[in-house]
Parts: sequence; C-alpha cells; structure tokens
Amino acid sequence: MINYHPTDKQLRQFAEGNISSALALVAAAHCDVCSKCQAKVDDVNLELASDIENIKAHTFSDPAFDKMLASITQLPVLDAPVQKSPRIELDGRFFDVPRPLQRFVKKTGNWSKLLGKVWQAPVDLGEAGMAHFIYMEKGGRVPEHTHRGTEFTLVVNGEFSDGLADYDSGDLIVMDDEHIHSPHSNADDGCLVFSIVDKPLHFTSGIARLLNPFSHLFFK
Amino acid sequence: MLVGISLENKFTNTSKPKDCAEEMSALLMEVAAERCKRSYAKVFGYFAPRLRSYALKQMGNEALAMELVQDTMTNVWQKAHLFNSEKGSPSTWIFTIARNIRFDMLRKLQNRKEDICSDDLWPVLCEQTPDQNEVSLDQQVTLQQVGQLFNKLPDKQKAVIEAIYIDGKSQQEVADQLTIPLGTVKSRTRLALQRLKDMLEDHD
Ligand SMILES: [Zn+2]
Repeated sequence: MINYHPTDKQLRQFAEGNISSALALVAAAHCDVCSKCQAKVDDVNLELASDIENIKAHTFSDPAFDKMLASITQLPVLDAPVQKSPRIELDGRFFDVPRPLQRFVKKTGNWSKLLGKVWQAPVDLGEAGMAHFIYMEKGGRVPEHTHRGTEFTLVVNGEFSDGLADYDSGDLIVMDDEHIHSPHSNADDGCLVFSIVDKPLHFTSGIARLLNPFSHLFFK
Repeated sequence: MLVGISLENKFTNTSKPKDCAEEMSALLMEVAAERCKRSYAKVFGYFAPRLRSYALKQMGNEALAMELVQDTMTNVWQKAHLFNSEKGSPSTWIFTIARNIRFDMLRKLQNRKEDICSDDLWPVLCEQTPDQNEVSLDQQVTLQQVGQLFNKLPDKQKAVIEAIYIDGKSQQEVADQLTIPLGTVKSRTRLALQRLKDMLEDHD
C-alpha cells in the first residue's frame, strides 16, 4: 500500500508545471500508480483551465491571429506515437515501470554491483540530476548516509526500510541533509527503486566513510 | 483569405461554461474527424485570445506569448483526434497542452540540457494504448438494429464504419485504403459510434 505521497503543494506545482524536472519525474511516476494523487492533480488542472476560460478575452479580430489561424490549418494531421512498455531487466527478472519512466529504460546503462547485495544501473537524464535504478536483494543494504543535496526515491517494485520508515511499491521519498538513513530490503523478492540525486551522497558510518572521496564515482 | 471566418467570440459572455464545453467538445470532434476548418476557427477564436492572456502572464513577453499560443493551437489542430471528451473538458485538455509547451520552452530558453520533457511527465498527447479510448457500443445493440440509423451518418463516417464493422478490416487497413491518417480513422470511428449511441438514446 502506498503511504508516502508528494505534498499537496508539490502536486500543485506539478500541475502548474512550476517544478524541477527531477521532482516532476518522480511525481509523475508516483501519480501513474497513485490514483489519489492523480485525482488531486486533475482537480488543479481543472481549476487552472477554468482560470483560462474566465479570462475576459478581446472580442475584436486581430490580424496576427488571422495569420496564425491560416498557417495552422495548412498543416497536416499528426499521428501520435503509440507508446510501448519496455521493462527493466535484471538477471532474467523483468520489472514493469511506471509510464513516465518507460522512455528512460533504454537510457539505462549496465547493472553493476554497488556493494554486497545492492546493484545499480545509471540512467542518463542529462543535466536534470544523477539517476539510477537500484536493486536491493533480500538482505541487501546501502551504507548509512546523508545527502549533500536532495534525493528523490520512487519505489518501483518491492519493499524496503531505512531505519526511518517502511516503504512499499509506489511510495515517493524525499530526503535531504536533515535525514540520515540506511536503505535495506528484507523482502523475499528484494526491492527495485528509482532514485535521483542532485549532489553525491555523504556516507556517515564505519568503513563506508572511506567511500566519501569516491562517492561521486558511485552515484554518477 | 479567411473571409467569412470571424474571430469574434460569441461565447464570451453568453454561454454557461458547461454549454460551452459541450459545444467546444463537439467542434473538436468535427476537427478530428473531418478536418473541418470552420469548426477549428471557432475553437481557435475562443481559445487563442485567452491563451495569449495566460501566456503573457507566464512568459512576460509578447513574442514568447504568441509562440506559446501558436504551438498550443497547432497541436490542437494536428492532434485533435487525441482529445477524448470522456476524460475531460476541451479547456482542460488545451490548458495541459499549453502547460507542457511552456515547460519545454522555459528549459530551452534557459539552455538546460535536461533529458526530461513534458511528454514524459504529462502524457497529454500520446496514444495511451491502442484502441483503449474507443467508444464501444453496448453489447445488446447489434449492427442490424442500428442499420437504419447508420444511413443517417455522414458519408465519410459511414465508409469507415462499414469497412471496420462489416468488412472486418483493421483501422490500419482502412487508413491505408482511404489514404488518410490512422488517427483520422480512429476519430471518425469514435465520432460515428458516439452519434449512433446518441441516436439510439433519442430513439427509445
Ligand atoms: Zn499519492
């Protein structure tokens, strides 16, 4: 069951389009699987659309609009591409991903072992942030860390805990420098998440601290 | 050049929003099915000036505002077949198109090389899955029963319905045969079925 949703404010910013690309992507992926939040976004869309309808528009005709109308109606019809649904593959297992993430499946690099039972594959988002699909096998754990920037995580499939809370498929988790956590999965089928960070992580405990000078290598 | 098509907006103060939505919805379906320029001009006349006000507020610049209006209304013309009245009103559909175009425009202006675009975030202008948004006739209504109503359909819609439901052709085959885009076949089918449905309801 989904327990962690974007805030109402974030959903409004998402509907308005006044939002960072990284947060927009995980919010969109969340709304694709959370009908509650999608309904909230639909409500804001409706409200913003009625704002436009209520604008008192000029009723005189305008040569610029005449020209625009004439040029538009000369254009051909366009068929929209039918979206395929590519899936994430890891070791012969296939995972469905929310629709907004599907285009990025083919922009996902090879899986590599991060640590122990944790695997990651980089996703190229350009300058929007450093993104990865991360898979924790049962018993897999990411060392305790905090964040130099903001970390957005969407649970794609499975369950994990991080010492702060338990998460399930569809949950959206936003972490920053006020949070220290250590994600790990005890689920039999492990857990696949999609994560975006704008700055490298900062490992906080034990030997993992030795990773800090190199964390940009792990999370880039 | 566009003599006879007035941009004057008869909906501004007279119609209630709901009536207006129904009227705009019907016009968009005509645009989708028949490429009707006259219907499109009415949709344009209603939305273009409003979008310009919205865009001016958002972009703060007349040239950018007009670019936003033009791109939005171009999508409305070229992709009218993706409008589905069951999913929302025309104004909501058009707002979401404008919002998406603005999102991409702003990133282009800031020269940000982000590989996330509005189509990923808000799939307003994508086919969801093939044929998912078709109107389906109630099962107990057979084509025989609608046969007499069928003859009242406009010729273009009749041809599409005939090819699909009587000859059993796929929508793609019909598109190839009539050399029209697949989207037009889909929207003609949808519009025709909707009309038949309406006629059946009036019938009882
Ligand atoms: Zn939610």
